[in-house]
Amino acid sequence: MVGEERTARKRPVAASLNAGCYRGDVPPVTPLATGIVLLAGAVAGGLGATLGIGGGIFLVPFLTVVMGWPIGAAAAISLTTVIATSSAVSAGRTGSHQINYRLGMVLEVATAAGSLLGGITAQYLQAHTLERLFSAVTLTVGAATLSRLNTRNVVTGDQPDPGALGGRYAEAESGGVVSYRVKRLPLALAASFVAGNLSSLLGIGGGVIKVPVLNAWCGVPLRAAASTSAFMIGVTAAAGAIIYFGNGQLSPPLAAAAILGVQAGSSIGIRAGATASARSLKLLLAIVLFAVSAVMFYRSLP
Amino acid sequence: MTPATPAPAGRPPVVDTRIEERLGLLLRFGVVVSTVCLAAGLLLYLYLGDGWFANSLLTTGLILLLATPVARVAMSVLEYARVRDWRFVVLTAIVLLELCAGIIAALVFHRRL
Repeated sequence: MVGEERTARKRPVAASLNAGCYRGDVPPVTPLATGIVLLAGAVAGGLGATLGIGGGIFLVPFLTVVMGWPIGAAAAISLTTVIATSSAVSAGRTGSHQINYRLGMVLEVATAAGSLLGGITAQYLQAHTLERLFSAVTLTVGAATLSRLNTRNVVTGDQPDPGALGGRYAEAESGGVVSYRVKRLPLALAASFVAGNLSSLLGIGGGVIKVPVLNAWCGVPLRAAASTSAFMIGVTAAAGAIIYFGNGQLSPPLAAAAILGVQAGSSIGIRAGATASARSLKLLLAIVLFAVSAVMFYRSLP
Repeated sequence: MTPATPAPAGRPPVVDTRIEERLGLLLRFGVVVSTVCLAAGLLLYLYLGDGWFANSLLTTGLILLLATPVARVAMSVLEYARVRDWRFVVLTAIVLLELCAGIIAALVFHRRL
């Protein structure tokens, strides 16, 4: 059910575009818009990499609130940056054994199903519904981050038998070998399904949901949880992005600008994140998430 | 199947070094080629305006970017079949089918508009 309001909003923008395969509510491409998106991508990618999450959670609010674009167009652009980040990070971490490929491939069954469903649903939901959902998700994740501010990350040190899905990797800081076993697989699958669903609906990677669940309840050390999530979000985002692309909501020049920006920004941000303390990073993340939540809620109001 | 690191004690986890290396190479190839296409396409788009060549480069870059995770899953199916790990052949094949369903949904939306 495409609402009256949304249909009315997208027609004039669509009329301003004359290029072939993309239509619908795609924002117009100007050199200024391209430059701003490139810069926003770099900031979102940098901030995301510093805080250990994807840049999508900052890029989508920026594109909807500051640029005034429909959330569908913003989510489509953001999902392509998620794919690029996932491929680059996974390729870079090959051989470090931090990515748990087998666990990732099991959870991908759930995450791809979730994002497929979300990608189709998103085409029928009204913009303000998605904006309110974005606000609710960022508020929840922010509150969860704040409540775990002083909790040490769970590192289940030395499991003698990692089982079929567990893993083992050498940790640089401690110099030791971390070995873990995956617990509560159904919970991990459920979290992956929800993460995939929200990923497609909102244009985020979904790591903000999966990583805390894997770390807090499923026995996966934070580093392995984050790396495995980074490996998975490529498939998650691809399932959603393909649907947005087919529905003509993805603007290739603006997506290109965002992808290039995010790649440049995240390569700088990874170094910044390594030097800051975990507690201050969590605090900064919670504050930014609350701000994003408030702005998205304000935007969703009629 | 080779163990990750010399294990201090107990059973080593299941690690498929060859599969991981091949998937890593594929992902790197995908992201590098698509980024080059997108960067060249964007520059042409900004300097020459909305033209056929710039649009083709941008669309090619985006399709390569979107196809990279799909290709990675397809390669996983083949690699697990090669080592006769049927459980993971089935799991990765389900993911591939889900991605194909996404492509079909995309084509349906594309026609509808």
